[in-house]
Amino acid sequence: MSLTFSLAHLMGGIVLLCAFLLLSQRRLAAMITLYQMQACVLAAAAFWQGWAQHELNLYLTGIITLALKGLLLPYGLRQIVLRFNLRRAVDSAMGMALSLILGVGLIGIAVLVVLPSTMRAVSLTREDLAIALSVVLLGLLVMVSRRSALAQIIGFLSTENGLVLAAIGMPGMPFVAEFSVALLVLLAFLVVGVFLLRIREHFDTLDVTGIEAIERRGR
Amino acid sequence: MHLQPDALSWLFLGILLPQVVASAVAGMRGSVTFWVFVLGMALALLAGDAFTLIFGFELMSAASWLLVLRGDERPATFYVTMAIFSGACLIPAVFLPASSVAFVLILLGTGAKAGLAPLHAWLPKAHPAPPAGVSALMSGGMVKVALYVLIRYAFIILAPAAQPWWGVVLIAAGLASVLIGALRAMLEVELKTVLACSTVEHVGLIAVGLGVALRAKAMGDETLEGLGLQAALLCVVAHALFKPLLFLGAGEVKRAVGTASLNWLGGLVRGMPRLGGLMLLGAACMAALPLGPGFAPEFLLLHAVIGAAATGGILARLFFTAALAILGLGAALALGAAVRLFGMGFLGRPRSLQAAAADDIRGATLWAMGGLAVLMLPVALLPGLVLGTMTPVFLLLAPQAALPPLAYAPLSLVLLAFLAAAALGFVLQRWGVRGTREVAGWNGGFGAPPPWLPFGDPATQPSATGLAEPVARAIGRGVLARDMADPTEIWLVAPLLRLHGRFVRVAERIRRATIRERLAFVFGALVVFLLALGLGEGG
Repeated sequence: MSLTFSLAHLMGGIVLLCAFLLLSQRRLAAMITLYQMQACVLAAAAFWQGWAQHELNLYLTGIITLALKGLLLPYGLRQIVLRFNLRRAVDSAMGMALSLILGVGLIGIAVLVVLPSTMRAVSLTREDLAIALSVVLLGLLVMVSRRSALAQIIGFLSTENGLVLAAIGMPGMPFVAEFSVALLVLLAFLVVGVFLLRIREHFDTLDVTGIEAIERRGR
Repeated sequence: MHLQPDALSWLFLGILLPQVVASAVAGMRGSVTFWVFVLGMALALLAGDAFTLIFGFELMSAASWLLVLRGDERPATFYVTMAIFSGACLIPAVFLPASSVAFVLILLGTGAKAGLAPLHAWLPKAHPAPPAGVSALMSGGMVKVALYVLIRYAFIILAPAAQPWWGVVLIAAGLASVLIGALRAMLEVELKTVLACSTVEHVGLIAVGLGVALRAKAMGDETLEGLGLQAALLCVVAHALFKPLLFLGAGEVKRAVGTASLNWLGGLVRGMPRLGGLMLLGAACMAALPLGPGFAPEFLLLHAVIGAAATGGILARLFFTAALAILGLGAALALGAAVRLFGMGFLGRPRSLQAAAADDIRGATLWAMGGLAVLMLPVALLPGLVLGTMTPVFLLLAPQAALPPLAYAPLSLVLLAFLAAAALGFVLQRWGVRGTREVAGWNGGFGAPPPWLPFGDPATQPSATGLAEPVARAIGRGVLARDMADPTEIWLVAPLLRLHGRFVRVAERIRRATIRERLAFVFGALVVFLLALGLGEGG
């Protein structure tokens, strides 16, 4: 039983680490790789939880995660990078040190919120939940702190990974919910892909600063 | 949304109806905003719960702001600042339990909307800006809706917690309005501004009546309570009839002459006899002349204040004696303003070519003004009967109030005066000495030409500014600020406007925020909530 805990926590920790590294990376290619790693570890965590909880649904979740987020989405993202020639693109909005400090603070907040308010729950769920909330918050921070639309999308996808991490840690979470979330993310990705193409056509860059300037002038 | 009209609602709806019809007939019926404005007022009057009341009230404010904006931009900004201030006071107040804090907030919120001093400075700017029909409805209707909210809360909803000092505060605010409103009505040059200042004065009169009644209610004095309420509500009725009439007339003057500045009018009564007659009637009511609809409420009000001066301690007695003096001064100034309005605008020689060539009114506006004038007749000649029909309202507001019969019967006075005049005429006809005599005096606004212009020039007649000059020197310098501006404009309105400007800039900054900044707002709010949750759970 203790192996169940420690392995689950280890995988959750790796997912969190990936999210944290995402914050520190500025090159889009590296961010995509990190996201892929995160998704793969998440799929492994889902398989492990499925084995531990004897739930067939979690295996399904793992397969979907692996196929969709571990392979399909990174492939699509890499295609975008290739097509837009963003291989060497560097994104900057917030200072690296500042964003890392903020990230540490967010993890602290997540632990501070989850651990006291779930005192009576099983410890497996509690710590998993704290990690998942940290991943969600870090993903949001990535969205806020980056200028490039693609980096914002990666932040969004990472946020969604945090949600899935929380879902697989909970015994009895309906499969439909996870499935629909995954589908939603795929749809959002497709929409955003089209949107990116349009931005590129109009502004010749994926940096949203140009849009912001036009917004300011237009209103 | 919940409607539950009672006697008070019906009374105010009845007051509103003639002006809405008159304004619609006089040319506003095609405007959607106008009907939204009317809908807001009706909703506020019919409301059965606080939410509907506030909803209607704010709908009225927003629609009237759009209508003022149609006239001019600066007064609209002025107006919306005050409307927001009023909303910021009213919205918390209606959800508070009955207490003095709630009353003060209600008084600030409704006072700002009704033009009660010291929150009145916007009214002489905003009311003249929109088209005449809207001005009429704003002055005659919107102000009354604000007073309706004040009456409903002060006399019904907050009644269990009533304190005598509530009434005193209301009286003090009313007296300040009377003094400043009447004085500025005497000094202003623009016709519509004069009328708006006179509205401030009448709101002050109503507030004094309500204050006397409120204080008497808290002290358990039934007679005084009834008297104060009678004065206030009768004044509401009278003002709601003659002020729209005057505003519609002012709009017609502006249409015919191109300006409504008294310094450029004159002699209009010859070119526009029908409008002149109606305006004379309205001006007589504005001055509260006997036999007009404005006299009975002022008569009752003075009685109420005299009665109140006999109650309470020495300070209260001194206060009410001073109040009598201020009311007397206000009545005199209002009379002066009415004489100046009619004498400068309609008598004498035209001061401009346009004034000389002005066409008389006809058609819809004539019907609208004539209808209002006809409705004034019962209020003027049978005020006792009008008060009698309002008995359910008095019983609702003050169940134990004693309602003394009105000691003023204009109908018999009219008959007596008619008999006396007929007898005098007969005597003069029979035994009088024939012959004419030249008398120099007011001379109908005509002035003797100066020696260097022997053939006269209309511009050498005394101007409206010149006529008001003695009053400005005698009283204006003491009461008003420099350049005859309103004293509250510097101390109260300017800081409010600055605060409003700052809020607008912040709101504009938020509206212009980029997607990333908006995300950051939401994210920051989420983190703050989580932090609060964590600290709350942990501690």
